[in-house]
Amino acid sequence: MVFSTLFFIFTYFPIVLALHYLCPVKWRNGLLLVVNLIFYGWKKPAYIFIMFASIGIDYVHGLLVEKAKSQGNDRRARRYVVQSVVFNLALLGFFKYWDFIARSLAGLGLGFMPVLGLELPVGISFYTFQTMSYTIDVYRGDAKAQRSIVNFGTFVTLFPQLIAGPILKYKDLADQIDERDYPVERFAAGVQIFTVGLAKKVLLANNIGALWEVYKAMPAASLTTAGAWLGVVAFAFQLYFDFSGYSDMAVGLGNMLGFEFTGNFNYPYTARSITDFWRRWHISLSSWFRDYLYFPLGGSRVGKGRLVFNLLVVWAATGIWHGANWNFLLWGLYYGILLVGEKLLWGEGLKKLPAPVQHGYTLLIVLVGWALFAIEDFAALGPYLSAMFGFAAGGLWNGAVGYYLRSYGVVLVLAALASTPLGAKSWEKLPQKGKAVALPLLMLFALALATAYLVDGTYNPFLYFQF
Amino acid sequence: MNKRYARFLSALFCSSLALVFAANALTPDKEFSQVENRTLAQRPKLTWGDLAPKNLLEDKGAFYTGSFMADYERYTTDQFPGRDGWVAAKAWSERLMGKRENNGIYFCDDATLISRFDEPDWAKVDKNLGYVEKFAQSAGVPVYFGLIPTQAYAWKDKLPAGAPNADQKGVADRAGTAMPSVKLAQSLWTTLPGHAGEDIFYRTDHHWTSLGAYYGYTALMTDLGMADEIIPLENYTKTTVSDEFYGTLFSTSGVRWVKPDEMDTYVPETENITVVSKTYDAKGNPVDEPRQLYDESYLEKKDKYSMFLGGQQSLGVVKIAGNEGKPKLLLIRDSYSDSLVPFLTPHFSEIHLVDLRYNKQSTREYIAKNGIDLAVVLYSVPNFVSDSNLVWLGK
Repeated sequence: MVFSTLFFIFTYFPIVLALHYLCPVKWRNGLLLVVNLIFYGWKKPAYIFIMFASIGIDYVHGLLVEKAKSQGNDRRARRYVVQSVVFNLALLGFFKYWDFIARSLAGLGLGFMPVLGLELPVGISFYTFQTMSYTIDVYRGDAKAQRSIVNFGTFVTLFPQLIAGPILKYKDLADQIDERDYPVERFAAGVQIFTVGLAKKVLLANNIGALWEVYKAMPAASLTTAGAWLGVVAFAFQLYFDFSGYSDMAVGLGNMLGFEFTGNFNYPYTARSITDFWRRWHISLSSWFRDYLYFPLGGSRVGKGRLVFNLLVVWAATGIWHGANWNFLLWGLYYGILLVGEKLLWGEGLKKLPAPVQHGYTLLIVLVGWALFAIEDFAALGPYLSAMFGFAAGGLWNGAVGYYLRSYGVVLVLAALASTPLGAKSWEKLPQKGKAVALPLLMLFALALATAYLVDGTYNPFLYFQF
Repeated sequence: MNKRYARFLSALFCSSLALVFAANALTPDKEFSQVENRTLAQRPKLTWGDLAPKNLLEDKGAFYTGSFMADYERYTTDQFPGRDGWVAAKAWSERLMGKRENNGIYFCDDATLISRFDEPDWAKVDKNLGYVEKFAQSAGVPVYFGLIPTQAYAWKDKLPAGAPNADQKGVADRAGTAMPSVKLAQSLWTTLPGHAGEDIFYRTDHHWTSLGAYYGYTALMTDLGMADEIIPLENYTKTTVSDEFYGTLFSTSGVRWVKPDEMDTYVPETENITVVSKTYDAKGNPVDEPRQLYDESYLEKKDKYSMFLGGQQSLGVVKIAGNEGKPKLLLIRDSYSDSLVPFLTPHFSEIHLVDLRYNKQSTREYIAKNGIDLAVVLYSVPNFVSDSNLVWLGK
């Protein structure tokens, strides 16, 4: 199930909310587990069994790791951690990468693996990472093993963040899973964040995403330079507002059910360097890779050669995590190389340049990156990139670009403003009384407008099925 | 935020959700949307059989494939309380944000809505042209082929500045080179744009008006070599049958701020014209359903264009008493022909109308059996390039 549907907002969630608050506190995790599984199995009920396997195996491994540690047998504890990681990666590998590997090998004339064409279990990239974090946290002593399989199942399947993150680490959530309170202030905060997220997804991302679809589908012969940039800017906004909107909705829904999740984005398009950008974009993923891959490899307290190696490994992994295709690997390595450059070569120099130059540098790299990310077909990527850099078959500009600029001008300006902290800052400056009146009105307006767009929703994609 | 305010905000949110939830549950489901002119999704049904473990293993049934859930979501959207109002609100919002189109319909000057025409799938165009050519080779009678340019071509000046618009003429030009056995009716491409200043199309519907159909008729008659028979427009009196027609473009676009169209007829319906729709009863026996040139009962409904010949039919036969000795015409057609036929009635003894979407019989045999003298394949460009039934012509 997806949040940005009328069915979720006006049928599933009201029922869940009502049951949740009617249910005695001690049974709420059990209830959540049930509704989580319904949410998860909505598209393909059979995949609930994968979830059972995942929960069961990681639950047992957590206990085994803890037991081995308490017996002072570090080697055995490590073995269990490795087993659990291998299981999770195998699950992910099988469903997400099998066909990619099979096709790539077949391309080399080694067609011994059949292409299976399996539907990717929704959110598998997110929850396998969460369950991996669990056994590792238990091994490191950052969290105690979960005794209750219901509580553990609730952690793994928690529907607000199940299918598009944020990726929660077990150590951050352990206490809340066992016991949490339900202050109305948290609920009210959740209401606001959810509404903001819904508006981001439905009103901004879907709207501007339609513009990207136009340019993505445009034959190379009609591409113009201005149009190619307009298209990639549209994609940059679509992905940011889609993803951060989704994360906001997750945080808001979590709040309403008594949880506190940390945010996932911090105005990434205001970053002053690529290093800075990745501290602000999809924070839960970067910090996962930092804690569970970069640090174990030695992090940055190593020699220069090893540092380059570590960064490239982490970024190749980050890239391929985003989708089973060569362009995602390329996109990851692109960032790996740029981050190595900033760390070892020009990072310090960059800081001395005027702020607009730093922003310009960052945005340029990020936009070119999004072209690599968004165009999976290499045959189309080349012409698109050349069009961006002035070698467009359709010239620099045509009437259609003007038409689309006029059509999407307002949305583009709104999106640009919403990408900065400007709105939030001016909101804070409003007098208390004004805020108190404006808040409910804005909330109802956003909810109603989003509903209107969903009722006549011709374009409402879910971008993370490939994740 | 203090506790009281937090309580208020939470209650407001929850009651909004609860209100819609209740409205959803309490408002009766509708079968058909008059405004959108389409049947709405109904509550899907799930049987115990769908849940059988056998289906799980074989990945079958509405439940395990997820089709039931997808249908349920569609049902929620289609039966959403106050649906028409929400659709209109979205169109308004798009307009206020500076958009000049919604759901593929351009908002144009003079309160006109024009359906967007995008680059067609040329492989499909070639295939369809090929089917017509193949038909012409074996039809046994002269076969004419005409494409009707629509608003996006004839009224391109009304489109928003710079609005993407693929060239419809390209399709007609392609026909010129691909069909040696077919006689091309190309005059439509000069006649209709030549009258672009008049109300040749509806502003809220994709069809041509009776006036547009009249110019279409003059073009077709010219190409059929019957130009000398053309009846001047002045010989007819215009009758306005409705001034509250909201057509398909109105429905699709969500646009609710344009004024309705006027519907006119020119050719009077007379006693010597009989219209019969060849259809089948519930038992599968052939039945002749009597129809009229103008079925005014449709004027009470949303779908007013169906007034012409009573709307969709698989096979219609128009016979004109007193025209014996004049040729018998077979028209392979889309709905544009429905308002064209009245103008053709003075010149033929019989007009047979075939809609390939519903009629899969051999057209060649039909021609032989009914003594047809000439066949015209006449489609609007958007319908022709997207049609998937022309293959039946080849049979």
